[in-house]
Amino acid sequence: MVKKNRLWWVLPIFFGLLTGTTAFAQRELTQRDSVTTLSAVTVRATLPERFLAGQKIQRIDSTTLLQFRFGSLTDLLQFNTPLAFKNYGPGQLATVSFRGTSANHTAVLWNDIDINQPNLGQTDFSTLPVAGFDRLSVQYGSSASVVGSGAVGGSVLLGSAGEWRTGIGVSLGQQVSSFRNNQTQLGVRYGGSLGKSWQLSGKSFAYRSQFNNDYPYRERRNYFVEQSQTAQRGLVQDIFLRDKRGRQVSVNAWLTDNDLVLTPQDTVAREQTRTQSARLLASYEANAITLRLGWIQDRFDYAKGNFDLPSRTRTDRFLARAEREFTFWPGNSQVQTVLRVGGEWSHYRTVTDGYGGQLITENRQNLYALLRVQTPRWLVSANIRQAYVTRFNPPLTPSLGVEHKLIRREKLALTANASIGRSYRVPTLNERYWQVLGNPNLRSENGLNMEAGLTATANLTDNFALTTDATAYRNRVDDWSYWNPDFGYRVENLQLVVAQGGELNTTLTYARDGWQTGIRAGYALTRSSQQRAYNVYAQDIVGKQLPYVPIHNGTLNAWIARNKTRLTVQTQASSRRYITFDESQYFKGIVLTNVLLETDVHVGSVPVRVQGQINNVFDTLLFSVKRNALPGRNFSINLLINSPLIKP
Amino acid sequence: MKNLITKITANALLALTLWNCNTTDPEPTPYESGVYVINSGNFLDNNGSISFLPRNSSTVITDIFNAANARTFTGGVQDYTEIDGKGVVLVDNSTAGQDKIEIVSTGTFKSLKTLAAPDVENPRFVVRTGNNKAYVTCWGATGSGANFFANPGYVLVLDLAAQTITKRIPMPKAPNRMVVIGNEVYVGSDAGDPTLVVINTDTDELKQPAVTVGANTNPVAVDANNQLWAYSGATNEMVRINPANKVIAARLKVGGSPKSPGPFAISADRRTVYFVNSFFDSADNFRQKGETYRFNIDATSIPAATPFINRLFIGLGVDPQTGTIYAGITPSFKQAGFVVRYKSDTGVLIDSVRAEIAPSRFFFR
Repeated sequence: MVKKNRLWWVLPIFFGLLTGTTAFAQRELTQRDSVTTLSAVTVRATLPERFLAGQKIQRIDSTTLLQFRFGSLTDLLQFNTPLAFKNYGPGQLATVSFRGTSANHTAVLWNDIDINQPNLGQTDFSTLPVAGFDRLSVQYGSSASVVGSGAVGGSVLLGSAGEWRTGIGVSLGQQVSSFRNNQTQLGVRYGGSLGKSWQLSGKSFAYRSQFNNDYPYRERRNYFVEQSQTAQRGLVQDIFLRDKRGRQVSVNAWLTDNDLVLTPQDTVAREQTRTQSARLLASYEANAITLRLGWIQDRFDYAKGNFDLPSRTRTDRFLARAEREFTFWPGNSQVQTVLRVGGEWSHYRTVTDGYGGQLITENRQNLYALLRVQTPRWLVSANIRQAYVTRFNPPLTPSLGVEHKLIRREKLALTANASIGRSYRVPTLNERYWQVLGNPNLRSENGLNMEAGLTATANLTDNFALTTDATAYRNRVDDWSYWNPDFGYRVENLQLVVAQGGELNTTLTYARDGWQTGIRAGYALTRSSQQRAYNVYAQDIVGKQLPYVPIHNGTLNAWIARNKTRLTVQTQASSRRYITFDESQYFKGIVLTNVLLETDVHVGSVPVRVQGQINNVFDTLLFSVKRNALPGRNFSINLLINSPLIKP
Repeated sequence: MKNLITKITANALLALTLWNCNTTDPEPTPYESGVYVINSGNFLDNNGSISFLPRNSSTVITDIFNAANARTFTGGVQDYTEIDGKGVVLVDNSTAGQDKIEIVSTGTFKSLKTLAAPDVENPRFVVRTGNNKAYVTCWGATGSGANFFANPGYVLVLDLAAQTITKRIPMPKAPNRMVVIGNEVYVGSDAGDPTLVVINTDTDELKQPAVTVGANTNPVAVDANNQLWAYSGATNEMVRINPANKVIAARLKVGGSPKSPGPFAISADRRTVYFVNSFFDSADNFRQKGETYRFNIDATSIPAATPFINRLFIGLGVDPQTGTIYAGITPSFKQAGFVVRYKSDTGVLIDSVRAEIAPSRFFFR
């Protein structure tokens, strides 16, 4: 009750800030007008990118996105980041561990809104194909103050981007792969002027995948390969409208449908998992105000044998967000100070067989203030967020981050960064409402994340460039919820997990006479363990590495290119992954290598990107978490046709 | 100096002799005498294993199949027995179509043959039914909910000499535990069938009629008087059956609701039956609670009032050589369990040994 009173006390102040036409806002408006023409071509940075100073953000470049155009998000992240995946098999559930945390501790945002499935509080990365979004960044470390619940280990940021070009362009993609797998993508991009002051950019994109996984072998080195089929469909619709004054209206929709069947040949024992999501977002941005309205529906059906009688989960989320940005002292070119205040309301409605089948609703509110101060050498952000959730309230989560340019010469730049922030995680709907096993008395988990790092960029010669960064972190999460066997496998706020480690990344590129070559290497050290002895048997797991979190993880991407032809070798390696809490059993370390050769050919005037791909080149024996062999060496050929822009 | 040379020569000769001895001896069998701990593993992790526990040691050798074959079972381990120099391991994978029977060489645990689906689906128990002959109960593929036992199930007849399946005997429903008496096998079920099915091991044919006991009856053991004990789940009774005429000689209620008994183990002299009596306490977050009791085969009632060992186990076995009680403890399915040993007469704790995931059955050799 005390907490609720605080909400009513804070709300009027907040809305006063939001609606009030203060002197700051007026000044801001003037400032905005003057820069509109400049900002017209830039992609609007997401909140984590702008307000998490001192924390590492890795932007995945367009070349990499193109290389994984037919891949799942799991594949891309595995070869380019230290995120560890718990993979149940091809096309099956894939959950993430980011910096030694659990699958519930990575926020997945799409156009700045959280799209983690709310019943599970996590994302099945196998259901998110790379073709479904235009931009991808990975933000390391807790960011609850900016992102909200569940951003504990880090966040994966997906987004749509408008292309402000006039005309219509058609794109067609087709993949044919081993095991009778194939994928098709069809898209149209369009843009142009609407009247005198408005401009339109739109994209309609559809994709389908059929993974028959028709392996020519039943087992690999005496380990069975699991039989499964996955059919994926998706639709993306983006409309961006903007005017010369910098106002922008956008509508984004992403529908996904993932149909997985295990042992399809056995009509008694076959299992179907159908995951369908509809995500719809409308945004309005103008005069330093951002308004968003969203609706997300997640449907999850599981059936065994008879697919007509699945166990159902239906969850709807309605979301409204308002933000206002204030620019202080706009005349001061040395110090840029921006304050953004925002509020979000979301309403959850779930009907889940496992909860008893009745409608359960709850509201979650968030109020936040994000401050960013930038000088030529310093970048500081200070943020604070308070969430209000039906029946319990999470802690206040502040964060502070600093970046300082130590060296900023033409050939060498060196930046130091540090940040500290609290995090929280609202228990998932399953954790609270699942019949018998759920625990309505769960508290919010709370964490404290600290990190520091250095980033260097050096142009060693005119052709030779080096970027490198090193980060060390410590993330302590208390009240970590755990399905406790000693408590009838009910979920409890029981554990204390400390994850600490570091990341090291280096990119070297060399370009000369039309040739380009480069290497991008990443290494991550992750020590993550449970620290609390809450019963006699917990003694055996204190200090032990959490399951499925490799201590050492490395990625290596090497490429050589001339003009449009490019050869890329992608390698991912990780040390052993324990599968039990006491380190008594583990999967051995792995090295996985893919090779990709791509080039452009022209059919008439139409350029066609041709990619030939060899996955698992060395035919390494890899296991799913179910201890089944994953497929060996396999091949695919991808064609991507982008018609030239047809101008009206 | 001379002394040294003599010593070296003597040692060299001795070493040579020993080496010669070694080369002429048969290959030593590392798991010759001791206890095989059958760790069923965690569902979906498919990480069942067999560990070896010497009788006089407090340390297990883990995953002996992996040590001998450089691969794991890849499934839950359901049961194990030995037949004329061959071990038979039943492996149940979480996905249909991936279950198997591993036939290994006893003592070394080297794999000889793998029998797989579609013959092998949800294997449950294995018994020796003759020279180089074994029976394996299988449920067939299972569905969900009311349709869980969608298939009637069957018994596989294995020829261990040829390492093949020679016959598939259809069963009424979900065949489960088996006990062999003479040339007969009694087959139980957990799926509501009211009978104990009897199979003639000479002909591999069902004997008619089956023994009607009550729903969910499974055979437990043969006692010192050559009487068959079975547990009937529907009535919560221990049932004593005379195998000569198939007449039910006694029906004894076990303790009382809400607890139910199992697992069971019979003493070395076959005069005492040990059992765990447990329930899931709905008033306490469905924690499983229970103790271990015993009764004499001549008892006229089984009150289950005073525990023999005041502790809950998921696995129970008695070493026929020493009489020692072996019990399995599972703290969770995501960390190693323990094998706890007790004296059979007094129930006094001997020791506790860390095993692998969910130690649930024991095989003594």
